[in-house]
Amino acid sequence: MNYSLATLWHERPRFLPGIGAVAFSAVLIALQTGLLLGLFKITSLPIDHTRADVWVGSPEVLSVDIGRPIQETYVSRVAGDPRVERVEAYYQAFASWIKPDGGSELCIIIGSCLDDDNLGSLDELTPELRNALTEPNAIVIDSGERRRLGVTGVGDYAEINKVKVRIVGEVSGLKSLAGPYVFCSRPTARLLLRNMTPRDTTTYYLIRCRHKEDAHALATDLDETYKDRHDMTVMTSEDFSFKSRWHWLLKTKAGIALGYTALLGLLVGMVVTSQTLYAATAASAKEYAILLAMGIPRRRVTLTVLVQSFWVGLFGVVFAYPTVHGLAYLGRFAGVNIPLPWNLLALAGAVTLVMALLAGLMALRSVRRIEPMSLLR
Amino acid sequence: MSDAAEEPTLRCIQIVRSFSDGGAARNVIDDVTLSLYRGEISLLMGPSGSGKSTLLAIASGLLQPDSGQVMARDEGRWVNVWQLSPREREHFRLRNCGFIFQGYNLFPALTARQQLEIVLRWGDGVGGREARKRADEMLALLGLKGKENKKPAQLSGGEKQRVAIGRALIKRPKFCFADEPTSALDWGSGQVVIDQLQAAAHEYKSTIIVVSHDQRLLEHVDVSYHLDDGHLTETDVPADRGGLEPWRAAQ
Repeated sequence: MNYSLATLWHERPRFLPGIGAVAFSAVLIALQTGLLLGLFKITSLPIDHTRADVWVGSPEVLSVDIGRPIQETYVSRVAGDPRVERVEAYYQAFASWIKPDGGSELCIIIGSCLDDDNLGSLDELTPELRNALTEPNAIVIDSGERRRLGVTGVGDYAEINKVKVRIVGEVSGLKSLAGPYVFCSRPTARLLLRNMTPRDTTTYYLIRCRHKEDAHALATDLDETYKDRHDMTVMTSEDFSFKSRWHWLLKTKAGIALGYTALLGLLVGMVVTSQTLYAATAASAKEYAILLAMGIPRRRVTLTVLVQSFWVGLFGVVFAYPTVHGLAYLGRFAGVNIPLPWNLLALAGAVTLVMALLAGLMALRSVRRIEPMSLLR
Repeated sequence: MSDAAEEPTLRCIQIVRSFSDGGAARNVIDDVTLSLYRGEISLLMGPSGSGKSTLLAIASGLLQPDSGQVMARDEGRWVNVWQLSPREREHFRLRNCGFIFQGYNLFPALTARQQLEIVLRWGDGVGGREARKRADEMLALLGLKGKENKKPAQLSGGEKQRVAIGRALIKRPKFCFADEPTSALDWGSGQVVIDQLQAAAHEYKSTIIVVSHDQRLLEHVDVSYHLDDGHLTETDVPADRGGLEPWRAAQ
């Protein structure tokens, strides 16, 4: 029988604020981190929604959206490796979008191979859309970006880098952080990006390995082989995806904002939980005092308070999980993607549990004040 | 009534304790000496503020006297309670002492059984099954069979005090200190309490000291002392008791 748990249940109205505070902290941390993950996942969409195992880009490229051109001749460096099954060029760069009404907007051009077996077309580009993109100057946009791009949808014309383009299709769920994504074929991309991407260059080479598990070794070997030339970087898609998100997290200082918010949530949770445990212990001071009078070591009472803090933490986390999932579900209706991977939830749970235990430690001053003599006054 | 041994088990020798009273120190206990014997209930009476609870606290190792000694028989030898380190004194109380107070001070969340179990499990590290068995036996002895799973809110005042007594006696303590154990009870319940203390004194050979101003207890105890303004003013002690000789002989 767990006496701490019995007390917690019997005096649940007293412990509820503490449990609520822990739940609040856990929800705050999980949602904040989930929101950021969702936000910055947008930056690595071109990597995560395509099928390359390895990416070859410009030296020290920090994020997929800021790759600089590399020579097309580099294909010979990679295509000869027996572990490589397919290599294809891929274009991605910022461009200036001129709206039909004359306004301008920064957009991101993504020009990829449109074959059925391609590596670089995003999953959302259906065979029909890819077929439509084979027309010269044809583009596909995300339907959620219409207002931003100043268009009404399929059939509209606009101008990118002074080249007239026509919207031939739309996708959804590919809204971007920096500028709306504009999907097109590689010839169209070369045309639109002719000033930024010189002849005989591409932004990336995408590689598919014969065996997926070779990706890491291949990337490492290629990177090591050509390291001294300082003219290209080779990464697995997982590494590049993480690198892109991490870059944005640091660049926008959002990580710091997240840290502060989470810390604030933790502090509030810790103070409320600590006060709850303090009040609960103070309310039972006379009962504990009798046990101390009978020689039961004070550390037993200390342990009880810490066990109570553990249960408060655990219940808080248990309440937090459905709340987080509920809020994430509601977020979808507002068009906000909040990914909640298990490791994020586990981390948020662990951090708040530690917070609850720290709150228990803070509440121990109430144990130190318990004095058996008080029973005889 | 008495099943007394030939020598005392607890001696308070020339105890002095003062408290600050508006800047001036006042002797609440002033040169008090008394001896308590195993298997006996000693009653310490006196008006409010006479110092009887303070004396109980000193005798039980909870409050340090300004001067004087508290000598207790522990495992066949005399122990000077206030020369022990705090840790040693805690162990002494754990091995030897039970307490009963006027307020029952039972954990509201715990059942009658758990109130007793907690002492065995936390104090002596007794296993769950053994603690439960001993708690149930003690509750049955106290006439609380069938109430093992009741929480304090479901028990009458008398029943709560019996649980508190059970908590004090579950370890079969050598010394039991009771502060006004019957004051909040009707006489019927009070009678049960004193019966249980008598049973403990006789069956466990415990040394029991009861502090009370309840005159009705006088006819149920073995020895009584009267404390007034920090002094022992009158005693009802068998003629063969008194003085410091037994303790000195033991030295």
